[in-house]
Amino acid sequence: MTDCASCADERTAGAAFCEVCGQSLAPEPACPHCGTPGGVGDDGYCEHCGMLAGRERDHLETDCGEVAASVTDRGLRHHRNEDAMWLTTRGAEVDVVVSDGVSSSFDPDVASLTAVQAAGELLVSGDVSAAIQAAQVAVAELAASGDPRRQASNPACTIVAATVRGDAVTVGWIGDSRAYWVPDVGPAEQLTEDDSWATHVIALGADPEQAMRDPKAHAITAWLGADAGKITPRTGEFVVGDPGHLVLCSDGLWNYLTDAAAFAAAVREGLREQGTLISAARWLADYANTAGGADNITVALIPVSPAAAS
Amino acid sequence: MTYSAEAFQNEFLALGATEVNAIVTVTSSGGTGGLRTSGATEIIIVDASGSMQAEGRIAAARQAAKAAVACLDDGVHFALVAGVGTAQQLFPAPGQLAVASAQTRSEATWAIDRLHASGGTAMGAWLLLAAQLFAQRPGDIAHAIMLTDGDNGEREGYLQSVLDSIAGKFTVDSRGVGTNWKVSELRKIADAMLGTVDIVARPADLTAAFEQMMTAAMGKTTADVQLKVWTPVNATVRFVKQVEPQVADLTGKRVADGARAGRYPLGAWGAESRDYHVCVDVPPGAAGDEMLAARISVVEGDTVHTQALVRAVWTDDAALSTRINRQVAHYTGQAELADTIQAGIEARKAGDDHTATIKFGRAAQLAHESGNKATSELLATVVDIEDAATGTVRLRRKVAAADEMALDTRSTKTVRVGRGQ
Repeated sequence: MTDCASCADERTAGAAFCEVCGQSLAPEPACPHCGTPGGVGDDGYCEHCGMLAGRERDHLETDCGEVAASVTDRGLRHHRNEDAMWLTTRGAEVDVVVSDGVSSSFDPDVASLTAVQAAGELLVSGDVSAAIQAAQVAVAELAASGDPRRQASNPACTIVAATVRGDAVTVGWIGDSRAYWVPDVGPAEQLTEDDSWATHVIALGADPEQAMRDPKAHAITAWLGADAGKITPRTGEFVVGDPGHLVLCSDGLWNYLTDAAAFAAAVREGLREQGTLISAARWLADYANTAGGADNITVALIPVSPAAAS
Repeated sequence: MTYSAEAFQNEFLALGATEVNAIVTVTSSGGTGGLRTSGATEIIIVDASGSMQAEGRIAAARQAAKAAVACLDDGVHFALVAGVGTAQQLFPAPGQLAVASAQTRSEATWAIDRLHASGGTAMGAWLLLAAQLFAQRPGDIAHAIMLTDGDNGEREGYLQSVLDSIAGKFTVDSRGVGTNWKVSELRKIADAMLGTVDIVARPADLTAAFEQMMTAAMGKTTADVQLKVWTPVNATVRFVKQVEPQVADLTGKRVADGARAGRYPLGAWGAESRDYHVCVDVPPGAAGDEMLAARISVVEGDTVHTQALVRAVWTDDAALSTRINRQVAHYTGQAELADTIQAGIEARKAGDDHTATIKFGRAAQLAHESGNKATSELLATVVDIEDAATGTVRLRRKVAAADEMALDTRSTKTVRVGRGQ
C-alpha cells in the first residue's frame, strides 16, 4: 500500500492513477537527455540541462487495424516534426493525407497540420482536387494570422492526398510528398511526379543520377502557402487489378529509397516481417532512421484489393 | 500593472555554435501616475556651488526647482537638497520628508528662494544625504534629480565608494548645466543608479529639463522591477544590456537567485516598453537538439509577471542557421554606435585625429543604417559627414564644447527597430 502524493489516499500498489483524486501516481518523468529525475518543467524543458524533453508530434501513430495504418516521426536531425498526417476509415473506405512543412518557411509545422486537417475533412466527398484546394486556402490564410514573421516568410508545405473507395484509388498532390502503388507481386509504380527541380530538369533531359545529386535536387517548384499563387493540384485515379498496398510518404522515407523497385522491396519486407500494418509502418520509419533520419518521416499503408477478390 | 515579454531571435544555430542572442521586449500597461502600487519619494538636489553664479545659472536652477516641485503629485514625499561642500537640506526641516500638497509645495517654493550659490561640489555627500532620506520610506518609488555645473571636489574614489553603497536603492537622473562638468562623472552616477545623464547647455532650458524628468518620474507606478534570467547547467550569461530607450549594461548588476538564475534590476516602471539584449553561452548540441538557453522572467519580489523563452535549436541546414534576426542585428549596431562615439570622443581629446576620424566615420555609418536621425544630427555638429553610407567624415576644426558633450551624453540613445522579421 502506498500513499497518493496528491490526496493522501491509500491505493493498491502498482495502480497507475489514484482511485480517489485521479492524479497520476507515476513518478515525475526523468529528463531523457541528462536523466535528472522529475527534471522536466511545465514548459517541456529540463530544469537542469535545458533540453526539450519532447513534443507530442515527435512520434505519432494511427492504427486502423487491417484497413490502414500510418506513422509520423521526427527523425534524428530535425528538432521538431514538421510532417503531418490524416487517416480516417469508414468501413473499407479510406481518406489519407500526408504533408511536409517547408522548413525554410515560418511555422512549417503549423502549415502541414493545417493542410492535412483542411484536406482530410473534405476527402469524404471523394473530390481530392477540391480537398487540396481547400488546404491551399487554409495554409495561405496562416500568413495573415499569429506571429507577424509569418507575413515575411509565410508558412508553406507539400501535400499528397488519396481516397480509396473499394478498388478505386484517387491520388492528388502538390510538392514532393509521394504516393506509390506496391502490388503484392510485380513492379511497383510511383503514382505522383514530384514538383521539384530534379524532376523538372530530368523531364528536360538531364541525367537522373546527376540531377538527384545536385544540391537543388529537392528544391520544390510547387507548394501550398500564401506565396504559392494559384495552384493546380495534379491528380490521378486508377482501379486496382491485383491486390497490393497504396503507400503515401514524405521525402524523409523515399530519400533513402529513391527508385520504385527499392521502395517496393522495403515495403514488402516490412509487411512480410511485421505481420500488422502498423508495425510495418513503424518498421519503415525505423528504416529511414537507421539510414540517417535526416528528415521528418511519414508513411501511410493502405491495402487495396480488386473488387472481384473482395 | 500588467507586463508582457516577447523574445526576438534566430533560434537556429550551426552545429558547434554556442552563442545565443535574443532581444527581449518588456512592455507594461494598465497603470497610470494616479494608480501607484506603492508610495513615491522625490528628492531634488541642486548644485549651489560658487560657480553657479555664472551665466545666471543659480537663478535658472531656482526656477527649474520650482517647476519640478509644481509637478509633484499630491501625497508624494519629497525633499530639496542644496549641494555645496556638504549637503544641506533646503526643505523641509533637516532629516525630514514633506508630503506634497498645495501648502507644502508653496512652502518649498519659498525655501527655494533662499538658495544661494557659494561653496564647493561634493556629489558623494549629496547622494549620501539623499540615501538617508530615502531610507525613511522603504518600498517607495525612490527617484532623485541631481543638477550640477562642475567637477566633483571630493577626494578621488569617494564618489565611487558612495555609489557602491547606495546602488539599487534609488534612481538618479543627472543633468549638467554649462560645459564645465565631466560627462564621465555623471555617467558613472547614471550607470550605478539606473538613471539618465544629459547636458543642459543653456540655463534657460533647465526648467523644461526638470519638468520633463519630473513628469517621467511621476509616471512610474512600480518601484523595483527585475529581470530574472534562468540558464541551464554549464551555460553562462555573457551579457544583459538594456538597448532601448538607451544602452545600459546590466551584466555586472546580477544578483544570484538560486543555482541557475540571476536577477538584474530594471528600476521603476510606468506604462512603457523597453528592449533588452540577452547573450548566453551554452554547451553545443547535436543536430535536432532543442535547448532552452534562457528563461527570462519579469519579476517584482516573489511575483512573476511574465516570461519569455530564449531557445537554441541546432541544425545542419545553413539556410536556417545563417538567418539574421533584425532585432538582434539592429541593437548590436546601436550598442556599437554608442561605444564608437565614446571612443571617437576620447581619441579626439587625446589628439589622435586619425582614430577619431575612423570612429566617427563608423558611427555616422551605423547611425545612418539604423535610421538613428538624432544621433546623426549630433555627429554632424562634431564632424562633417561627407558620405554617411560609406562612413566618410572629416573632423571639424572647431567644435563647441556643448555639442561634443551633447554627443557624448546622448550617444547611448537608441531608436527602435520596426517589428516583423
